[in-house]
Formats: sequence, C-alpha cells, structure tokens
Amino acid sequence: MMLDYAYWITQALLAAGALCAVYRVYRGPSVLDRVISVDVILIIVGSVMLADMAYNGHQDYIMFVVISAVIGFLGAVAIARYVVTGGTAPQDSAKEAEKQAAGIAWEPAPEPEIPASPFAPTEGSGAQTGSDEDESTSWFAALTKSGFRPQSENRTKGDDS
Amino acid sequence: MSPETLDAVLDGVAAVFMVIGGLMSLAAGLGLVRFPDLHTRMHAATKPQVLGLLMLVLSASIMWRSWEWAAVALLAWGLMILTAPVSAHVVGRAGYRTKHLRADLLTHDHLGRTVDRLSEEDSVRREITND
Repeated sequence: MMLDYAYWITQALLAAGALCAVYRVYRGPSVLDRVISVDVILIIVGSVMLADMAYNGHQDYIMFVVISAVIGFLGAVAIARYVVTGGTAPQDSAKEAEKQAAGIAWEPAPEPEIPASPFAPTEGSGAQTGSDEDESTSWFAALTKSGFRPQSENRTKGDDS
Repeated sequence: MSPETLDAVLDGVAAVFMVIGGLMSLAAGLGLVRFPDLHTRMHAATKPQVLGLLMLVLSASIMWRSWEWAAVALLAWGLMILTAPVSAHVVGRAGYRTKHLRADLLTHDHLGRTVDRLSEEDSVRREITND
C-alpha cells in the first residue's frame, strides 16, 4: 500500500529533521540558534501530528497545531528581546564581563525567589549580576550570554567600545 | 472516473504531499546543522513552517475528504504564515544588533551602511554603543 510507505517514510524524515534540530540545540553557540532550533522542533512535532492525523483519519490533534501556530512565536520574541537588552550590559569593560560570566555562568537557580525582598540570600556571585538584573533572573541572563563570540572588529565605525 | 479510482488517485496525491512535507523538515534540520551562522540558519529554519506544514496540511485535508476540517487545517497554516515573520524578524534583528553574524561571509551589508549613516548624525545605534 502506497500510503503506508509514505507515512513511515515521512515519519522517518521528520524524525531525522528533529534530531538535526536537537543537535543544533545542543551545540548551538548562541541562545538565538537554540531559539530557532526549538521553534523548528515545535513545528516538526506539529507535522508529526498532522501526518498521523492524515494517515489514521482522525482530527484529535488539530487544536495543537492551530494553537502552536498562534502562540508558538512568543518564546522566540521574548528571548530575542531579552538578548538585545541584556547583551549591552557586559560591553562596558571586557574584564567586568569576564568576571560576571565566570561568576554567574554555571550557578543554578532552581526556583525563583521573591525579587524585591531585601532579606533574600544573595548567595555570593548573585550580587554581581549587574545593576538592572536581580537574582531571580540571573540564570536567564547567563543563558543569554552563552557561548557566542561576537565578531565586533569587522565594522568598527558605528561603535565606540 | 469510478469512485475507487478517484480514491486511489487522492491517496496517491496525499502520499506524495506527505513525503514532500517530510523532506522539507529534513532540509530544515540539515540546514540547521550545516549552515555557518545565525541568519543562514534562520533561512533554513523557515522551511518546515511554510512549505512543510503546507504540504502536510494539504495531505491531511485530502485524506480527510472533509471541507470543514480542511478549513480548520488551512486556518492553522494561515496563522503560521502570519506569525512566523514576527519571530523571524525579531530574532534576526536581535542577532544583527548583538552581532551574531559572520561578517566575513556577507557580500553586502546594506543595513550596516544605513546604520553607519544614521549613527553619524546622532546616537541612533544605542544597542551597540553605550550611553
């Protein structure tokens, strides 16, 4: 039967694409690469559901596809906005940025604590995270500073750093 | 054309669309792995959103043989078309402003020339410079 072969070939291709996207999430040098890879994984999951619905002739998962189409872009937008505003802070001086990155890079913050509490334990390097960041979002700031070395020396006319 | 023949033809068309949709997703995955920087990966990553999802939506609509559910599936694809440029635009802008790009691979940097011309007048480029 032709449709059986098409169904299994399609699922294999989708699985291969999802594995490639997972590899890019694992290896991706910056958080933006990871964001677009996670977006691709979401679309591939929707595609798997669509293929399953087409093969088995039901409509059980169609609302997942519709809703993921509606709100699937919000995560990318939020993280991209945060990369823009959070990426400017460590450019004050490279040494300060290195100190911050060394301080907060691998510190896990398991549960968010109350941001405005003056009695919150600062747990060492959490106080070094910058003026406009509190401790509850330092793990996310460390995420946005991950890995990628921006090539800032190629076009130096507009920036004075 | 007899109904059996029509069913066979529609199943064949749906199967072809389904395999093409899978190939689009595989192309996106390979592009994510192989391409060198953020913006080229974004170029590859839009393929399953637009073409792959369209192919799978058409395949599902043909297999269902129902205009109502076909309308719902096409609504999902239309919403994807509406929202995919938003995330692509914002991620691309953030990547450009934080220089997540291989400037040696660019042939033309039109936006860079515009940003340079604007930043001579006043401090427009606040995302790069520090005020």
